[in-house]
Parts: sequence; C-alpha cells; structure tokens
Amino acid sequence: MVLREFVRSLFDGLSVLVLLLMGQGSGRQERSKKLELATSETMQAEADVQSDKEEAEETKTRDERLRLVFGMADLKNKAIGLYNIGQTCCLNSLLQVFLMNTHFTGTLRRITVPPSASQKRRSVPYQMLLLLEEMQCGKRKAVCPRALACCLTEHRVKLFVQYDAAQLLLTLWNLVNKQMTNPELIEKLRDLYTICVQECMLCQECSSETKRNSNMITLPLSMLDSGCHLLKTLSMKLVHLPQTLILHLKRFCLRKSASIHKLCHYLPFPQDLDFSAVLTEEQCQADASEKASWQYELFAVVVHSGSTDCGHYCAYIQSLTERKWYCFDDSEVCQVLWDDVKCTYGHSDLHWGQTAYLLVYMKKNS
Amino acid sequence: MAQWQELQSLANASLEQVHQLYSGAALPMEVRQCLAAWIEDQNWRQAAEPLSSHARMLFHSLLALLGDRLGSPGLGNEDFMLKHNLRKARRDLQAAFEEHPERFANLVANLLQEEQRILRLAHAEQQGPVSPQGGAAPAPSAPPQSDRQQEIQRRLADFQAALQDAERAFRHLEDEQDMFDFCYKVHYLPAGENRTSDPEYTKQVQGLQAKLQKLDRSRRDVLAQMQQLLGRSETLRGFLQQELGAWRERQQIACLGAPADTSLLQLETWFTALGEGLFQLLQLLRALGDLRHKVTYERDPLQAEPPLLETRLRELLTCLLQSAFVVELQPSMPTSGKRPLVLRTANKFSVRARLLVRLHDRNRRMEAKIYIDRDPPKIRGFRKFNILTSSSKTLVAGDSPQDGLVCDFQHLTLKEQKVVGSGKGSKGPNEGPLAVTEELHLITFTLAYAYHGLELELETSTLPVVIISNNNQLSSAWASILWFNMLSTDPKNQQFFAAPPPAPWPRLAEVLSWQFESAAERGLSKEHLHMLAEKLFGSKPSPESTLPWPKFSKDSASGFSFWAWLDRILGLLQEHLKQLWKDGLILGFVSRKQEKKLLKGKRTGTFLIRFSESVLGGVTCTWVEHPESGPPAFRAVVPYTASELASLALPDIIRDYQLLAEENIPENPLQFLYPDRARDEAFGPYYSQRQAGSLMEKKEYLNQRLIRVSSRQANESWQAEEELVAATQDLETLQLQPGGPVPLQAAPCSPGTRQLGPCSPGTRQLGPGGLEPPLALQVGSRVPELLQPGPGAVEPQLVLQLVPEGQGTLQVGPGALGTLQVIPAGLEMLQPVPGVQGMQQVGPGDQVPLQPEPGAVEPQLVLQLVPEDQGTLQVGPGSLGTLQVMPRGLEMLQPVPGVQGMQQVGPGGQGTLQPGPGTLEPPLALPLVPEDQGPLQVGPEDFQPLEPVLQEFLQSLTEELESGSGALESLEAAELMPGMLEAGDGRLERLSPGPARSTALLDCHDPFLPQADDAALPTVNSLFAGTDDFPPLHINPHDFQ
Repeated sequence: MVLREFVRSLFDGLSVLVLLLMGQGSGRQERSKKLELATSETMQAEADVQSDKEEAEETKTRDERLRLVFGMADLKNKAIGLYNIGQTCCLNSLLQVFLMNTHFTGTLRRITVPPSASQKRRSVPYQMLLLLEEMQCGKRKAVCPRALACCLTEHRVKLFVQYDAAQLLLTLWNLVNKQMTNPELIEKLRDLYTICVQECMLCQECSSETKRNSNMITLPLSMLDSGCHLLKTLSMKLVHLPQTLILHLKRFCLRKSASIHKLCHYLPFPQDLDFSAVLTEEQCQADASEKASWQYELFAVVVHSGSTDCGHYCAYIQSLTERKWYCFDDSEVCQVLWDDVKCTYGHSDLHWGQTAYLLVYMKKNS
Repeated sequence: MAQWQELQSLANASLEQVHQLYSGAALPMEVRQCLAAWIEDQNWRQAAEPLSSHARMLFHSLLALLGDRLGSPGLGNEDFMLKHNLRKARRDLQAAFEEHPERFANLVANLLQEEQRILRLAHAEQQGPVSPQGGAAPAPSAPPQSDRQQEIQRRLADFQAALQDAERAFRHLEDEQDMFDFCYKVHYLPAGENRTSDPEYTKQVQGLQAKLQKLDRSRRDVLAQMQQLLGRSETLRGFLQQELGAWRERQQIACLGAPADTSLLQLETWFTALGEGLFQLLQLLRALGDLRHKVTYERDPLQAEPPLLETRLRELLTCLLQSAFVVELQPSMPTSGKRPLVLRTANKFSVRARLLVRLHDRNRRMEAKIYIDRDPPKIRGFRKFNILTSSSKTLVAGDSPQDGLVCDFQHLTLKEQKVVGSGKGSKGPNEGPLAVTEELHLITFTLAYAYHGLELELETSTLPVVIISNNNQLSSAWASILWFNMLSTDPKNQQFFAAPPPAPWPRLAEVLSWQFESAAERGLSKEHLHMLAEKLFGSKPSPESTLPWPKFSKDSASGFSFWAWLDRILGLLQEHLKQLWKDGLILGFVSRKQEKKLLKGKRTGTFLIRFSESVLGGVTCTWVEHPESGPPAFRAVVPYTASELASLALPDIIRDYQLLAEENIPENPLQFLYPDRARDEAFGPYYSQRQAGSLMEKKEYLNQRLIRVSSRQANESWQAEEELVAATQDLETLQLQPGGPVPLQAAPCSPGTRQLGPCSPGTRQLGPGGLEPPLALQVGSRVPELLQPGPGAVEPQLVLQLVPEGQGTLQVGPGALGTLQVIPAGLEMLQPVPGVQGMQQVGPGDQVPLQPEPGAVEPQLVLQLVPEDQGTLQVGPGSLGTLQVMPRGLEMLQPVPGVQGMQQVGPGGQGTLQPGPGTLEPPLALPLVPEDQGPLQVGPEDFQPLEPVLQEFLQSLTEELESGSGALESLEAAELMPGMLEAGDGRLERLSPGPARSTALLDCHDPFLPQADDAALPTVNSLFAGTDDFPPLHINPHDFQ
C-alpha cells in the first residue's frame, strides 16, 4: 500500500506540526522536582542575561557565575538523543557536537531573543537554544529537532538530503554567526571556532609572494599519503588556533571516473594532541605563547558509516564535565569507552564500518 | 534467564537492594512476581513517552492480566494472603494511574532499569576480586580475567540485552503498524470521494496523520537502535579480535615450547555469542525491511536504511567469521611431539582447523580443503609439494557443547613434486638461494560457509612450516622455526630468511629457556643465561645485544654453531639427564672462569657438573683439589656424551668414579656436589640398583660393576697454576697427566691446544670366553697406557702399567723407542700410531680399525693412521677421511672430513677390540705412539700383505666414485649431515670417500656440510658408529688389589 498523496500532504504541513512540549509532566516523580528547580534556575539566569543585555560590559564574576550555571546545565540530565526526522543524522550529530560544547552553549544562552514570532522561527541560534532547553528539561530519551529543522529549511538546508558533515557544519556555523546580533557574542563565537592560517600566493608573472591570513572553521587534512600520521599533509601555515579546533579528514575523494570514493583506511588520532609538537616549523607561523597554548584534548568525533551514496552519521562526544564518552546515534544515546572511539580509526578491509570524519579537539586548561 | 528470576538468585547484599527498591514503589512486588515474564516483555520505556497510546494499553492489559490471575484456579485457596494482596494492588494501581497510564509506564520502566543496574553490579562484584569473601560463588573458579575480558563479558551481556530491546521495539512497531493499517482502511477514503468539507472526516485524517507521524518516528527509532547496536558490536568485534590476537601469540610461543594456555573454549564462547547475536540482528533487519511491504509511504526510512544496515552487518559478520576460522593445532608430526612446524616428507603429520563461531546449517555440508603453498613466493628453486591423502574434509560438529566445529586432518603426508631439471636433488644442493631448512611453506585451509543466507569462503593458514627430507635436518629446521616465530612480524612471510633480522638477546634468552623447559622441565636461570650471553657476545653482554642469524645457526670458530651445540645439550638432557637437570643438580652452563671462582673456596672434592663447551653434547664434572702447598687445582674428566651415558648413567659414574694413582689405590675425587652437598646424599636417589640378584646366583661369576677410571701418578707434583691453566685450557681433556716434572712429555702439548689422550673414555670388552671375571680398564691418561700381555698367556690377564714419563717414549713390551712391535702370538689388534711429534691429537677419524671376521685365524689388525701434517692421512682414499677397513670383507668405509683441531677421541682411540667369539686369547689393544715422523712401522710381515689389498680396494673405490651413477648416489648421501650416517640405514655401506676431488664436492655450499676450511666437524663423533659397538669393559674391583 502506498500512501503517497497522503504523506505528501503530511510533510507539507510539517512546519505546522511543531511539537514543543516543554515541561510536560511525566511519571518520574522522584526527579521532577529537582529538574524543575534546575530549569527555573537556568531560566532565571537567562532572564538575568536578557535584562542585562544592554550593558556593554559584564563583570567577570557574573560571567563566571553564568558559566557555572550554563556550563553545568548540560549535565543536569543524562545525554539526550535527537530523533531522526528525515535523514537528519548528519544534522543531529553536529547539533550534539555544538550543544555538548559548554563553551558554545554559554555563548548561545546569551543571545538576544528575536522580537517577532516569525523572526524567532527563522533564527537558527534561537531555535538551537530552544532545542537545548528542551533537551535539558526533557525526561525522555530523545527529543525531536523539528522546529530547528523547519527553521533550517527556510535557509535552504533541506530535509531528506544527505549532507556532507563538514559542509553542513560550515553552513550551520555561518547561520549562527550571521544571525547573532550582539557583536560581543559574535566575537566569542569566532574566538571559539575560527582557525587563522596564512596562505602564500606566488604571482606567476612577477614571482612576488603575497601572504594573506584567512580564517576557517575546519582544518582539512588529506587522507592520501598521510601514512597514518594525522597532520603530515597539512599544507598551510597555522597562525592561530581556536578553543574548539575541528579537523576535517578528507575521506571522500574524487576519482577519475568522477564518482566520489570513500577512503576507509586506518588513520589513528590521539586523545591528547600537542599541536606545537606535531607540526613542523613550516607548518606554523605563530609566536611561542600561541604555540604553548596548542595543547588539545579530543572532545568529539563525527563518524560516518556506509558509502558515499548512502551513509549514516553519528557522533562520539566526551562530556566536558563528566569526562565520559557518549555515542549519539540519532535517538539512541549510550555511554561508551575510548575503545569504541578507537574503532572509528578506519580499516581498509571494512568499507561500511564507522570511520572518523570530523575530529573536534578542545583546548586544555581554559 | 529472566531478569526477575536472576534477581532472586543474587547474594543477600544485592537482594537487600531489591527489597529497598520495591519497598516504596507503587508497583507491589507481588504484581512484579506474578506477571514477571509479561512485564519484562513489554516496552515500557517507549510507552512512557508522552502522547503514547501504548501506555494506556499496557496499563489496562496489566490490570486485565491481574484479574485473570485472581480468578484462575491455579492460584487456588492455598495462598489466600497473596490473592488478597494482589486484589488490593490491582485496586490501588487502578486508582493511582488510571488518569496517567504513562506515569505508570515510566515507573515500571525505571524499576526494570534499576533492577538491571543491581544485576550488573552484582555480576561485576562476582567477577571482581572481592568475590572469594562472599564464598557464595558457585561458578567454577575461572582464571583471573583481564580488564579486556571483563569488558567483553560486560559488552556481550549488554549486546544481548540491547538486542532483546530491539526485538521488543520491533514487535511494538509491528503492533503499531497493524493499528495504523486498520485505522487507515477504516477511515481513509480514496481521493475520489471528496469529503474534505466534512469536519468529522478532516479530524479523522488529522488523527491518521498523527498516527503515521508516530509510526514513522517509531521506525526511525528502531533503525537508530540498530545503528547503535551495530556500532557497539563493531567495538566488541574489535575486542574479540584483540583477544584472538593474544591467543595467536600464545599459540605461537607455545609452539616454541613456552608454557602458555592455548585453550580456545573461552574465545569460542565469545565468538559464538557475538555471531549468534549478529545473525539474530540480521534476521531482525530483514523482518524490519519486510514491514515495508505492508505499509509504506514516501521517504519511508525502511526503504533506504535497512539495505545499508544489512550491508554493514554482513561486512561485520564476514569479518567476524573470517577471523573465527583458526588453526587450532599447528601441523606437527607425532614423532617430533614438542617440535611442531617441522615436517618430513613421507612422514605422517596432522593439523586441525576450527571455526570459533559454532553456528552452522545442519542441512549443509561444510567442506574444508587443505592446500600447501597456495600462493608460493617467488624464490628460485623453491620446492613444491603435494599433500597426499585426501585434501578435503567435512567440518563436523560434535554433539556435546565442548566439541567445537573442528576439522581434523590426520595422516597427511607431503611429497615433493619432482620437476625435471629443477629439483634440488637433481641439480645439487647449491641450487636456490635458500637452504632447505630456511624455506618456509604455508598450509592453507578454506571453508565453504553458509548460514542464514550468508555464503562465504573462509580461509586460514598455519604458521610457516619447514619441510625436510631427513631427520638430521631436524635440528637446523627447528632453529629456523625458532627464529621465525621469535622475530617475524608477519606470520605469513615466506621470504623471512631472505633477510633474517637479528634477535635481541632478552627475547632470544627467553626462547632458549623455553627449549630447556620443554625438553627437561626446567628453564635456564639467570646465571645460565649470563654465561650464554658471555659466550655469544664476549665479556660484556648488554640487554641491547643482538645476535645475527648466521651466528646462531651457522658459523662458529669452534666448528659447530651455537645452536648445534645447544641442541645437542638439549638432546643429552632429554635422553639421559632429565631428572638431574630438573632437580637442579646440574649447574650446566658455567664458564671456566666462573667455575674456578665457584670452586676455589670449597673443600677438596667439591665438584660441579657442567656442559662441555667444546664437545657437542658433552657433560663433565669438574672438581677442586687443594694440594698441601700451592694454589687449588681444578680437574675435569673428558666429557661424557650420549653414547657413554647410554651404558652408564651419570649418577653411577659419579658414584664409582675412580682416580688411579701410582700406588694403585683408586680414589673417588668427587665428594661434594657444589656448594657442599655430600655426593651420595645428592645423587643417592638417582643411583641405579646394584646388580645383586641374578648375577650373584651364578656362582662362577663374581659381581661386576662398571666404573670409570682416570689415572694419575702419585708422585706427580701439581704444576704451578699458570701452567695448569694451560693444561686445563681444555677441561675436556683428562687432567691426569702422567707428567713428570713440568712439560708434559709423552705427548707434548702447547698451551691452548686441545689435547686428547687416545685412551679417553672407552671401554674394552674381553671375550666372553675368559675364565676369570672380566676386567675393565679405563684409562684416561693421555699417555697411552701399555697393555702388556704375557706372551702366550692363556688366561686373560690385564696388566695396567702406566707409562712413566720418558720423553714421550712409549714402551711397548720389550719394544724399543718408537718402534712398533707386534707380538704375533697374543696380539689381536694393533694400533700403530705414527704420530708426528708435537701433534698430540688423535681424532677418531684418524683411526682405521681393521676388524677381523669372526673366527679369523689371522691376527687382527687395527690400523690407526694419523695424518702426518695438517690433517692429511697417510693412507686413505681421501686427504681427509678415515678408513675403516676390514681385511676380509671390505664393507665399510667411513669418510671423516676434517681432522685438524679435532678435540675428541672416539672410542676407537682406545684400541678397540672385538674378538670373535670363541677366541680364548684375551684380546688386547695396544695404542702406540712412536716418536719419529717416519712412516708406519709394522714389525712383522703380517701387516704387509694387507697393504696391497688395501690399496687395491681404495683404487676400486675411487674409480667407482669417479664414474657411473654410483657416484651420484654417494653424493646424495654426502648431502646429509655426517651425523645422519649412523641413522641412515644402509647408507653407510654405500658411502665411500672419494679422492681429493670428491672431497671438494663434499665441501659444497650446503650449510649442513662443513665448509672446506672448517677446522673440525661438529658431528664427527657421531660418525663413529662404532661408539656403541664397543661395550664397556667390565672390571672387577678385586683385580686391583
């Protein structure tokens, strides 16, 4: 039986079906009280922010207090999954990577709430914040990112399309960046994610060298000839590395036949990474103090399984407060070990297994 | 086991937690107990989701079931209280949750989850180290598990639980789908009938939409569950792979003799559990895909995702099965028990493969096939083999769960493919860059596996094997196996010996120790290893030292390789000294320096047992003597080898060892075993029973006992230590020099040279016809003792006369200096030794004993020829070789290449004597060392007629060698290790020494043959098949009085 017409009408009306049922009561009575308290606490803090948002400067103590409240917020509940609502596994994985990052959520919580309903609907950061709230107060194993998905469709990020995680990450980040209004927050967001690299350009005619700094969100690393060394193929000079550094393992490559081919081979990555130690002199253009801060710890891995045409994404994320690894596979979340993450190193014999695609490293001691 | 039952079987501490859990719970324990199975089978977590109609349905089902139970006669009247409680519980539940069934669902879900947590904790505790205190663990005491093993156990349990969850979710999805299907059919009308205006209809369609939304979400949820499950099982498979890798390593070292557990039981359980789960998942996935045939819609996740998941799952299963096919027992011949992986052509061997995933379709035959060198390396001259007997076999599963899916290949044999013109045999042994024992072959199995629609060809290979054609290659083949398994990183690298890496000493030490452990149940101690390291690396061995392969197995200044030396010691231990070694009575590997250090401070007569460094497979005793003045002296006997120990065990030798002094009072210098154990106390348990019974009954014989004797002169004054060093340089040499004051004159030796008395251990047997009890005489003196028969004496009488130091003069009977005298009447055997002066070596190979036919009337002659200089034989077909000629039937000819530097005296050196039966005259041996360099002087004419015969014979042999196919045959024999000669039945007869030319051929590059410039032969001793032919001389102690 085919229900084509019926279903079409169903999905046409998708945007109407916003099912936000925050604070819906549940049978878990023993917890609900505490949870409500927590919710109200965050809400209160948020209200504080909003009331104080006109102030250009915030005192440091307040900042810390907020971080305390917001940072901890991620763990008031256990990790919550996100329902797949039409090939959104890639989006779900990226959202988890964003929302599990307390540095990001700390910034996100301070955004200005858009005044009108339509603006609210179209605002990606606001929808993300709503989703975060829902995840944190929810008593269910997973929530449905429908509103955010609808919001994204308005920005030409479609449902039922399998995106490349690196590409979608950039889109998502750009949307968040663009739609934030507070310049201070934009600055924070950039500090958090942007990598500054130096590009050299050689003029073919006068052979003069032009150097230019540019910013990027992900550091692309070619998988070809990497010979099991993570950063061997990095071709540009690094000037500045952010708090959250995202490495993009270029596992998809274009072949002669123009078909995209996935490289499954083994590439290990460490839990702790000292960039100043693994990079060669030619690969960085940074002063000593900058380099000294290049101590990173793995925070999240976005993993792809399957082939180029049909695949699946999930994310392994280490909770920043608990220091425990979780696997977020759409609505299914479970606690895992580093061994599970290691299974995503790749194996040339396994073409359909999980392979790490994006590596998110977090700067230590900050 | 069901969760509730499992909970009840927990220890008290955990049970307490369960009680606490239910004490405040809205769900009474009675209800939980009463409907345990049903409750556990429902998906409460899902029902707890808001907006779930499922919760209400479950809640009412529960109430209904409770009602049924109350009314059922099964409960009866016997438990009135229970009935009452259930009734009350039902009422309470209904009152509390009627309005909020999802709360009830949540409650039950939480309770179940909490129960699982308690269970997990309890299990973890049971496995942990705390459990022994509990004492309640009835499980058989399993070996302590590593973290990884515990993790595997935990994950397997999680995996199975998650799988059950997924199955439940699937059933729930089925129900949901049926419900939707029903509603859809009832309410939805085809688009043709326009009822959109009807508000009732619109409401129904909206309801349908919501239901479909839910169905879609449920489907995606189940898919996510499977994705997650698959992800976790990938890790689990990784863990199993690591465990299997560890097992492979254990198997590899166990092959080398290490004590390692190679049981596969645990691994099989794990592999089977995971395989079972994955196959279950596969079926679930297929069933999930089938749901689409009933209800589908646009962008149905069941359209695209299950095939993707299935591909991934199949790949995972393939991987799991592929690694689960292992070689359980590496190929080995039953005859060489502890040394697997060495196969001999035409000898039977067996090998066993096993599939660790014990799942198979009983209706299909699983056929395993065996191949050798499926993908042969491109090495020139690489031999090809066929496996004889059937090459395929059906994998069988035993009925008991202990029996795995095994495939036992037994009674296999290998046959070399003779390729015309390219085989090793036809082109000579220097064909191909690799020696036979460095050629690695792989035996491969394939298995056609089919189960639940998954069809695979599994493949596994053995560790590389070395294929030999002769037993004498066994030792070097084993050396290759050791080296490979110790150092190769790739277990399939057949080219390993193209460039064998050197072995780091610590690793090699470990492997060597295993050899001793497996041969004689005691490994090597730190001191032993230190001595070996010193021997290999010089005075300062460091942990970073590495030993190259050739140094281990090939060249060595001493004429035999380090491995050959060690392996012979291993053989000796295994054959003769196992118990002593096991009990630590043999110090074994002690350098001479160390030996002196150890013995120096001990009282006279303290001795230790150690292995000879210069004699292959030799063991000796060194003792210390403290003379009245001067530094302590260290003495050692000529090493005993397997042949001596075969006739008399080492403890007996030690017990009865006699040292003869001039005044003829024999004494045993071996009094205390180092450090200070009385000899008899230490060795008492090992002495053999003295023959008291049967022999005593025969009155005409006196008791007899075999003893070993060395002699020395009483008036001998010990030499200064420096000189002693020279004399003891080779401790294998008998120390008892009949030396007059200082330089040893009878056979002068320069310091540092090996010196061997012609009369080193060896025994003589007197004719059985002797009337007197047989007399044993063993003289370890370097100067040949003189046996002087009374001319014409009828009764056997042996007079032992030690040659007084007389400037190297020998007194033979009435003979003059340096002349050889044969007393025609009494002399049966003559050993003229026309030694060059200053050359004090008489190797066994230098002897040409002539053995008479039994009953021969002619005097028997033993001709002992010593090469004049640089190892040339005066007489003999080859420049290097021994000639054993029998006057009558010239049957045996033994070539012994290499004379120079030979430090061993074969038994023949004692002047062997084998009288024919019936000879009344006592046989006599007379080793003579004439002083002059001149040719052999044979007194009487008796000898002369022999010479032409000999010449003629040699001539004919030479001719035969040079021409005809016979020459080739003999060459083939020459390919063999010399030691092989005694084993190779019938080969002895054919083996002929060629003239110089054929010697050159013998010196070809086969590693088993010594190179031409090799000073000595490693196995020369064994060439002398005669060792066993000379039974020990029996001596009656009374004769000494």
